[in-house]
Amino acid sequence: MSRQTARGGDPRKVNGELFTLTYGALVAQLMKDYENDEEVNKQLEKMGYNIGVRIIEDFLARANSTRCNDFRDVAEQISKVAFKMYLGVTPVVSNWSPAADEFSLLLENNPLTDFVELPEGHDALIYSNILCGVLKGALEMIQMDVDVKFVQDQLKGDNITEIRLKFIKRLEDAVPVGED
Amino acid sequence: MASMGKQKSSSLDKSLSKGKPEVNAATYALLFSEIVQYCQNRVYTVPELQNKLAEMGQHVGSHLLDVLFLREKGFKREIKLLSMLIFIKSNFWKTVFGKEAEKLEQANDDERTYFIIEKEPLVNKYISVPKDKGSLNCAAFTAGMLEAVLNGANFPAKVTVHWHKGTCFMIKFDESVIARDKMIDSR
Amino acid sequence: MTVYDFYLFDRNGNCLYYAEWNRRKQPGISKEEEFKLMYGMIFSIKSFINRISPKDVHDGFLNFKTSKYKLHFYETPSGLKFIMNTDLNVGNIRDVLQQIFSSIYVEYVVKNPLTELGEPVTSELFRSKLDEFVKGLPFFGTRASS
Repeated sequence: MSRQTARGGDPRKVNGELFTLTYGALVAQLMKDYENDEEVNKQLEKMGYNIGVRIIEDFLARANSTRCNDFRDVAEQISKVAFKMYLGVTPVVSNWSPAADEFSLLLENNPLTDFVELPEGHDALIYSNILCGVLKGALEMIQMDVDVKFVQDQLKGDNITEIRLKFIKRLEDAVPVGED
Repeated sequence: MASMGKQKSSSLDKSLSKGKPEVNAATYALLFSEIVQYCQNRVYTVPELQNKLAEMGQHVGSHLLDVLFLREKGFKREIKLLSMLIFIKSNFWKTVFGKEAEKLEQANDDERTYFIIEKEPLVNKYISVPKDKGSLNCAAFTAGMLEAVLNGANFPAKVTVHWHKGTCFMIKFDESVIARDKMIDSR
Repeated sequence: MTVYDFYLFDRNGNCLYYAEWNRRKQPGISKEEEFKLMYGMIFSIKSFINRISPKDVHDGFLNFKTSKYKLHFYETPSGLKFIMNTDLNVGNIRDVLQQIFSSIYVEYVVKNPLTELGEPVTSELFRSKLDEFVKGLPFFGTRASS
């Protein structure tokens, strides 16, 4: 179905291979530019953060949703709306902590990693770390400080790819200069 | 990384038969935007920035070629220069960018030079070039892709990007390509 | 009917963009001061409204009127604030401000790799699209009718 629309040329869609390979080119470039994997991971997260603070505006413009009430709302919006809208996949939300301040996104197909095999000697590389940055940046723009990290990755031989999100605190709006 | 496409031939075959779902254009625009900013922070001049973008485009192009030739069932490698160019303008452009390129022209004064013209290439859609960077064209990335595809298909060429009727990709083929083409013709 | 001017603030109170159309009288203070005043007032009105409201606030502050002009306000959940001053005959234009956000700001600022978010918008594309959009609004009117 989706292929049909590609042939018809939906201007709001981009060829999936082009996307995956463009991301691959970026990671390859970073691996050339930085000494070690940790630096690459950091850079990927930073770039993801920059994308996150922008993508949230696009998301709000399209989804037209109001502020989420709780972290469960947030989880639903991320998996069912945001991931679907931007990456065409719907991760499963699971592994809630008892206090409902932590959950996991389980991805069976990570669109960033098709055709990818981690090169030898780069065990510390978190190839898709950009996603953590995106989630962090986007949530920060809607006043949520959240810790995001990969806990499982199919690229590293795990059965599933798992991103863990932990709510830290709510951020307050800036008060204008000269007021309290 | 360079061998990304080859190592995992089994998974490559699998995803090809299905075809890969498209991704939201906004996702792509934002990823590309980050790539441009990253490159910009590491270079000083517009030509350097364009070179860096072209390099990354080449990385994409070289992998994309394999995917495309495998994907298009019964697709044989083009031998003739003109059919290769038409493949680029139509099939390649359509698969990758969702539509055919607007124009394919040959230079009046040089048999080695061709132009592909695209009013608003995907990567330039949201870019408003500031006045101090007047000549910057981020489609240098696309030019890099084209160059890698042509080189990979055994049509060695230099592809550069220019502002002309929108964005113009100037393809300058290697002498050997022209000579070979004449030989095929004369057979 | 007509449009006087337009302000865009980010959530830190930086004025990202300002444009005016049929504003005939200048306030006699620097633009910087004017922006600070505007943001401060918006900030106070917002918190005032939230405190005073007898019910839970949903849309919050939409607009206010004086005898001379009407100020319209729209805020995104990410804290961007869109403000437009018009004459008194203009109705509720929340959807218009929303459209400026979704189809102009997001398209030409957010997706433009050469812009820095949180910095004043200098994109020529944004300027011309916004200008075109505002001049095309049914209530923009012509000078003769205003």
